[in-house]
Amino acid sequence: MERIVVVGSGASGVHFALSCLLKGRAVTMLDVGFSGQEFPRPDDSLVGLKRNLPDPVDYFLGPQYGSLALPGRHGEYYAFPPGKDHVFRSAGAPQFRADGFSPLYSFATGGLAEVWTGGCYPFDDRDLSEFPFGWDGLEPYYTRVAERIGVSGCEDDMKSVLPLHGGLQPPLDADDHSAELLAAYARNRERLNGQLGCLMGRARVAVLSRDLDGRKACSYSGRCLWGCPRQSLYTPSITLARCRAFPNFQYLSGLYADHFRMDGSGKVRAVVARRADGQTEEIATDTLVLAAGTLGSSKIFLESIYRDSGQILSLGGLMDNRQILMPFVNLRMLGRKWNPNTYQYHQVAMAVRVKESGELIHGLITTLKTALIHPLVQTLPFDLAGSLSAFRSVHAALGMININFPDRRRAENYVTLDTSATPHRLAIYYRPDATEPARLAQTIAAFRKVLRKLGCFAPKPMTHVRPMGASVHYAGTLPMSESGDARSCTKYGASRDAQGLYFADGTTFPSLPAKNLTFTLMANATRIAEEAF
Amino acid sequence: MWRQTNQLERECSTFATYLSGRLPTPYLIEKYLDFHQKLGEKTAADRFDAFLVGVAARNAVWTRLADSYTRIFRPSSVLRTKLILVLALLECAPPSFEALDRVPGGGILGTVLRLAGASARFVAAALAGAAIFTPVRFWMARRWSAS
Repeated sequence: MERIVVVGSGASGVHFALSCLLKGRAVTMLDVGFSGQEFPRPDDSLVGLKRNLPDPVDYFLGPQYGSLALPGRHGEYYAFPPGKDHVFRSAGAPQFRADGFSPLYSFATGGLAEVWTGGCYPFDDRDLSEFPFGWDGLEPYYTRVAERIGVSGCEDDMKSVLPLHGGLQPPLDADDHSAELLAAYARNRERLNGQLGCLMGRARVAVLSRDLDGRKACSYSGRCLWGCPRQSLYTPSITLARCRAFPNFQYLSGLYADHFRMDGSGKVRAVVARRADGQTEEIATDTLVLAAGTLGSSKIFLESIYRDSGQILSLGGLMDNRQILMPFVNLRMLGRKWNPNTYQYHQVAMAVRVKESGELIHGLITTLKTALIHPLVQTLPFDLAGSLSAFRSVHAALGMININFPDRRRAENYVTLDTSATPHRLAIYYRPDATEPARLAQTIAAFRKVLRKLGCFAPKPMTHVRPMGASVHYAGTLPMSESGDARSCTKYGASRDAQGLYFADGTTFPSLPAKNLTFTLMANATRIAEEAF
Repeated sequence: MWRQTNQLERECSTFATYLSGRLPTPYLIEKYLDFHQKLGEKTAADRFDAFLVGVAARNAVWTRLADSYTRIFRPSSVLRTKLILVLALLECAPPSFEALDRVPGGGILGTVLRLAGASARFVAAALAGAAIFTPVRFWMARRWSAS
């Protein structure tokens, strides 16, 4: 039986692999595969952990205080918890040289989605207008993935921008602040929908509200940010564990895939990977599926073409969602108590049609509960004791909107191979389009108006435009197209530059709507596996 | 070494009292020392920074004056770094995290009054801090640049 080699164990790779395995295909997965530690005291709530751990500072701030947010760290309101350090552990030499882009890489088992916030937002027909298929072509795979991973949510006003698919579990219990925001939306719905172009509803998140396949429903322990010990919050390593139960699945970790080899007719024959000790290993295959993430897969492709022909190619069209973080205070929640035993990530989703630009912008509202408070307290405009006193009074009233902007493929944003370093690295160039500053300002103004109508206040100086690359929604360097051009793929992710080469990750997305793309990555990888293999 | 440890313990005690109204536990002091041992470069101070830390460690009143001054004039100073470190330690460990999580009573009115009080205290302390520390800063700058 022909063995399919998949590179990468992230959201795309594991769903591609599982779909092939369920069809009886043999799959080998290559992965660097760094893994983290076991969760301590899995039955404790977050408060219980603080009370019972022998060294809570070590757990919450890290042995080297890596999660301590000291002055001079601009903009970011969260630090990654130390328990997730492995997700961003470097695999040796620097992977990239970037200009105008701040990329994040992961070599962890499960990839970057090991630290995602679970947002599952399907693309609708408008979002898919540049894809070679529409909602009807993708809906069955959204349903399949939702049934596998468990997605909670419900039918509400967001249905017109987040179409309904099968496999949804009932929504999680809303925390008090999220419930208050939804109640304010209901009271002001007419004006919000009409004049302000705003829709709101429950978030759709990959978190179990009911038990599923041996995983337990969310117990509201408040530990989400530090890793869910019950696996209620889905991460790709859960699907990888399922793949590993198949006898025809082979998982080769400790391998960094560097390039593939082709024969004289341009057909893939092998993939070459490096071990940590610098030794290389060659794995023969006729079918290679790259799912190493857009930047990782692009680098493997560029390196392979360079070794095969001496050509240094540029791949235009790199995309990412620009993100803005907008903290706000809900005046109705001032002075109220807050409950740490709740789900910690976003529970409310919103979409705002910005009048001036005509763009539909997607926002996710996270209400602040158990996140470490010192990164925020230090930004308040008082001395630290005064800031702490003020913060305690407004803690229950604090929230943050994560605003996502769409992106389009533009030739001037590209990746290429930097051969001046050994080993070679990816060179990344990104410049926002000239209209971006105006669009950001218009969007910020529109969201502030919406917040005011909801009874909230967003202090202007605290709104933070994140650097390009921070959202980690990279896509677009080898797009699916029906044109048949080189440096593109078929609708099944098959490369037009090398026979037997497929892309199952965001590399192939022809456009990027203002939504988290992870759910669509999983659905698209499943579609490719089921329809092309 | 002993003197340095003693100074750090004093800083931790004063800053914890300033932020939480209570002395730190031995565990918290141990972590404060551990941070300085592991990441000493983050708290490497110039003469004026060292002066501010020394003054702030005297008692909570001086801490407030120096903290208010640095909030405006030296937001990335070593004193701010040390105060934020203590805040982070307090929020992670018992029993201080429970005090920090507790919502003060009084509802919306209480919140507004507390915010007004925090603003007034901050403005007063920042003015007093500026009156005290600005001349010291200029004096130090002139003295050390002359020598």
